[in-house]
Amino acid sequence: MKSLVLGGNDAVAYAVKQSYVDVVSAYPITPQTSIVEKIASFIAAGEINTRFIRVESEHSAMAAAMGASAAGSRVFTATSSQGLLLMHEVLHWAAGAGLPIVMANANRAVAPPWSIWAEQTDSLSQRDTGWIQLYASNSQEVYDLVFISFKLAEEVKNPVMICLDSFLLTHTKEPVAVFEGEIDGFIKEKKWKALLDVDNPEAFGALAFPKDYMPIKIQQFERMKKATAVFEKIANEFKNFSNRQHSVIEEYGDENAEVVLITMGSLAETSQLAIDKLKEEGIKAKLVKIKMFRPFPKDELKESLKNAKNVIVFDRNVSMGKGGIVKDELVGALGLSNCIGIVCGLGGYDVDEDDLVKATKDVLSGKIKEDTFLWGEK
Amino acid sequence: MKIPKDEILKPNHLACPGCGAALAMRLALKALGRKTVIVIPACCWTVINGPWGKNYAGVPVFHTAFETTAAVAAGIKASLEMQGKDDITVVGWAGDGGTFDIGLQALSGAAERNDDIIYVCYDNEAYMNTGIQRSSATPIGAETTTTPAPMLKNRPKKDLMELVAAHSVPYIASATVAYPVDLIKKFEKAKSKKGFKLIHILTPCPPGHKFPEDKTIEISKLAVETGIFPLYEIEDGRYKLNKKPKFTGIEEYLKLQGRFRNISEKEMEVIKENIKERWRRLEIKFEYFN
Repeated sequence: MKSLVLGGNDAVAYAVKQSYVDVVSAYPITPQTSIVEKIASFIAAGEINTRFIRVESEHSAMAAAMGASAAGSRVFTATSSQGLLLMHEVLHWAAGAGLPIVMANANRAVAPPWSIWAEQTDSLSQRDTGWIQLYASNSQEVYDLVFISFKLAEEVKNPVMICLDSFLLTHTKEPVAVFEGEIDGFIKEKKWKALLDVDNPEAFGALAFPKDYMPIKIQQFERMKKATAVFEKIANEFKNFSNRQHSVIEEYGDENAEVVLITMGSLAETSQLAIDKLKEEGIKAKLVKIKMFRPFPKDELKESLKNAKNVIVFDRNVSMGKGGIVKDELVGALGLSNCIGIVCGLGGYDVDEDDLVKATKDVLSGKIKEDTFLWGEK
Repeated sequence: MKIPKDEILKPNHLACPGCGAALAMRLALKALGRKTVIVIPACCWTVINGPWGKNYAGVPVFHTAFETTAAVAAGIKASLEMQGKDDITVVGWAGDGGTFDIGLQALSGAAERNDDIIYVCYDNEAYMNTGIQRSSATPIGAETTTTPAPMLKNRPKKDLMELVAAHSVPYIASATVAYPVDLIKKFEKAKSKKGFKLIHILTPCPPGHKFPEDKTIEISKLAVETGIFPLYEIEDGRYKLNKKPKFTGIEEYLKLQGRFRNISEKEMEVIKENIKERWRRLEIKFEYFN
């Protein structure tokens, strides 16, 4: 293990380099670009034995990734925002076919108006495509999650999307502990065989009549649900190599908190600062960071929130006409009556710890009584 | 030349009687052999190959989204090469809708990269699987459910061969099921070459073109003899004509098919003019680029 100063995109590329990836199929989009550029440079320098298919669109990027995976390769791609939306149809195909593709998505706002800055509406609009979704809060998590994702994808037979907030994570550099040879023991063995086999010719994805379609979809649902437990198991194995623990949800702050803040992605780092400030002011608060959004960690969240008097969800995303998507999911899963959703930071709009502290106090004092946008008071 | 005896395509597939696309696959597989992987997008072959649990093609088949044939095939080939499985032929097998229209971007992408795949367009000149709607491969004067008489298709068919030729790929050929030896030879040639290959096969469709199911071969043959569907190859940029048409029988070709029953004399003249104009351009290529 050594320490390098890496941005989130660098961390992805570095981990892909160490993950024995056979095929990368990708199309550039801001701010994902430097991931695929860096992978290309590793290939050009002869540092990795990986084939790079330079496709003509994100739709084809996912299609080629799907073909490569079906033929038995370990496959990676990366995208962002509009590119992810263009892939939407093929995301369903890849998940339905149970292909262990790993993709990094730089969470970027969706046009119009054009925006290249952080927001999670792009990936959250893909929540029903059947992809496992993980959200990283810093470059170390991004790096670690790549290794865990390949293992998870191959074991569950399902694609995995690793999400990292654009610029806040993709381009902000920080020290990252990176592996040397020791990670081989974790990642080198591939648990994936080709579906397409000329000695055993089968057809995949054929027309299914209603009596077949529904049980196949139930099977897919069960496969996905299993991913929560498999993630925890693989994360424990990963701890042996890194001494770093990852979980589907993670907590920070006071266990007996009267108010719980919930969020995903880089906002969790800001929330930690807010928790510390609230503590200084005598307010017992804790953060629950959702690392795995799909499958939704319902049981873990239920346990974590069982004593909470107040729950506030900070969503850097929005479902038009409804509100924050994570808040909606949480309430849908747990039926909370004490939960306020606050949509903030859309299109990269700055949110700092003081904003979160103020919003939390406004909820506790009753000034904020219902779901709202954090906006206009700076 | 002997036609290979091995019947890879199984006889109980789900094609309509007289289907040109089923016959095309049967002949193509004879040439390609069992070390072949096929990618099929939304098209008649989605149905022909059988429902969930069946695979009448007899080689591995990956069913995929409408517009992704070439990209998926490129991914499969790259993956096989990375595993050292260089003896497997990867074939994208798409209809005219999935090729001329919605799949054109991925096709162009794979052709430009010169991915080592065979892309086959079996062309029945309309969206037959969804009930005979016009595609950009539908010829002028044809009646379809989206161009019902009197508003017949009024634009000429897109020229796929020349479109792909603009990508400077090693091999492009046209074929029809009326000339099985010619078709098999072309698949064998395509299999032997590295890089992107296109084979454009005219596959008449009895319900879509509205002709009796025993006329498939006759119509395929007439398409070539009339000059409506030229049989030629573009090998490393060199043009080669495989069958010289007689340029007769155009009326007979059109009369045999119900889809042309409503064309006027004026449209008939336009069709004849289009054939002449296309051949004027092609002959220059046969002469100067051979």
